[in-house]
Amino acid sequence: MEERETILEILDELAPGADFEGCTTLVDDRVLDSLTIVALVAELEDAFDITIPAVEVVVENFNSADGLTAMVKRLVEDQLD
Amino acid sequence: MTSYFSFIFLAAFLPAAVAVYAITPRRARWVVLLVASYLFFFWLSRELILALWVSTLAIYGTGLGLGALIRQRDSAVKAAKSGKREIRARFARKMKLVMAAGLLVNFGLLAAFKYLHFFASVIDGALGLVGITLNTELPVWAAPIGISFYTLMAGSYLIDVYRGTVAPDRNLGRVALFLGFFPQIMEGPISRYGQTADQLMAGHPVTRANLYAGTLRMLWGLGKKMIVADRLNAFVKPVFADYTAYDGGIIALGAVLYTVQLYCDFSGTMDVALGMGRIFGVSLPENFRQPFFSRTAAGFWQRWHITLGTWLRDYIYYPVSLSKPLKKLTSKARKRFGNRYGPLLASSAALFCVWFGNGLWHGAGSQYIFFGLYYFVLIVAGSLIEPTAVKVAERLHISRESAGYRAFQIARTLAVIVVGELFFRAEGLDAGLAMFAAMVCDFNGASLVDGSVFGVGAAGIGLDGHDLALVLAWVALMLVVGLIRERGVSITERVAAWPLPARWALWYALFLAVIIFGAYGTAYAPVDPMYAQF
Repeated sequence: MEERETILEILDELAPGADFEGCTTLVDDRVLDSLTIVALVAELEDAFDITIPAVEVVVENFNSADGLTAMVKRLVEDQLD
Repeated sequence: MTSYFSFIFLAAFLPAAVAVYAITPRRARWVVLLVASYLFFFWLSRELILALWVSTLAIYGTGLGLGALIRQRDSAVKAAKSGKREIRARFARKMKLVMAAGLLVNFGLLAAFKYLHFFASVIDGALGLVGITLNTELPVWAAPIGISFYTLMAGSYLIDVYRGTVAPDRNLGRVALFLGFFPQIMEGPISRYGQTADQLMAGHPVTRANLYAGTLRMLWGLGKKMIVADRLNAFVKPVFADYTAYDGGIIALGAVLYTVQLYCDFSGTMDVALGMGRIFGVSLPENFRQPFFSRTAAGFWQRWHITLGTWLRDYIYYPVSLSKPLKKLTSKARKRFGNRYGPLLASSAALFCVWFGNGLWHGAGSQYIFFGLYYFVLIVAGSLIEPTAVKVAERLHISRESAGYRAFQIARTLAVIVVGELFFRAEGLDAGLAMFAAMVCDFNGASLVDGSVFGVGAAGIGLDGHDLALVLAWVALMLVVGLIRERGVSITERVAAWPLPARWALWYALFLAVIIFGAYGTAYAPVDPMYAQF
């Protein structure tokens, strides 16, 4: 659950005021636009010491905090030696 | 040029293809689609079909090469106890080289057919500045039909295989059909391998429901193209060809009517393409979503030529903005300029590539590059002023969600679109600038107000009152349909639930409208589908 909390903090900082906890249409409803996504990727990479390649930037991963958490966990695991 | 709108295609080729497809056993139906696709391609482009075959073989072979490297990488990673990251990096380098070779063949062909002249003239011009005269004379080649569209599809397949989002295909037939499927070869939609390849091979039966929905959608598109777009050409063509003869009011009207013409032409062709796909049980991706209801220029491009926009987003915007140097730039800039403006630098660099690419994709001409950069400037400026616009609206107690404000945004975006299309259609950038200047400095509404512009004869320009009434009626119908769709209602599903007599009444009404009101005959020059030239 640690990752999820960190992700929620980052999201709150990037787009204050939006409901990130339960929203599952962050990209569809343009809460996260392409500009915010670029910043979000940079933040996530710093926070978790991972590389997020462009191929991961898809709606399924970015539409909800859960999707982001799953992606981050997977990349952390994949990128461990 | 033969097209989806020619009589022989609609009355003979398509019905024959559907009939043969329907009576062929399911497992062999994809062969019928492939043969029909190659016949259609050969019909339009003759021996240039070789270019399509080279592209097909190139992506097929490159895909298999990438697949072999992926297998080697995975077993190497599995066997290694440490250093997995290095192994992945080593293979990634090899895979990048293989992918680049495949992309080079495909985009090399595109460049050779479409851009050689443009690049040669740019180089000649640049050398001319330093006193060297080359006068490169290159032969003019006709381009294979749809090369701009299928090359992007070929590129997306290779990148998707490289990224691991689709498995490399061992079936050459499926790759060939994915690239060459005749309903989408002329003007798209630019589909992804994951969207259509399996559907095309499935050999879905021709059902009564699909036949009805497919032909209905085709009729709707034929109406847009033949009742509105082809009719408007009679006005648009002379105004753009001989713009010095007209005042700013007529040029403004020409730009508005061209915007309507282009939309009806392109989205009408898409209706025909998607309708044909539906008949074969293939769901092609939508390319339009009520673009004229957009509230911003950026929003417009999420609703207009959607498959080009998403292609540029997935294969240019994110890879560029998330490349290592730009990521570093974003991190630094965010600390300095904050979350709103910080990412803008990297994002703008990526957006520049997207819009330059968008302009260039449309054609090798200065007006197309200008068109792309016009949207680049507007979209970046929109991002820059957005926070200020929010604050100003708050100060003035204007709700940005109120109907009035939305109407203002839509009207503003429509003006932006019309000006963009003026430059897009103009015969060169100089002509576009002159027309824009005339529209701003010499705006004279007299010829519009007294109606003489629509008169027949010397004062009129191609359209009479009867033409205008038909165009307006069909546009009004499109507006109603657009408003219904905007509310999230699927008209196809709604109509499918109607009683049988009502469904057939609608079908015949559309059919008769196209037959009676389509712009045929000596009064109208036949118009090739506009996007087929891009």
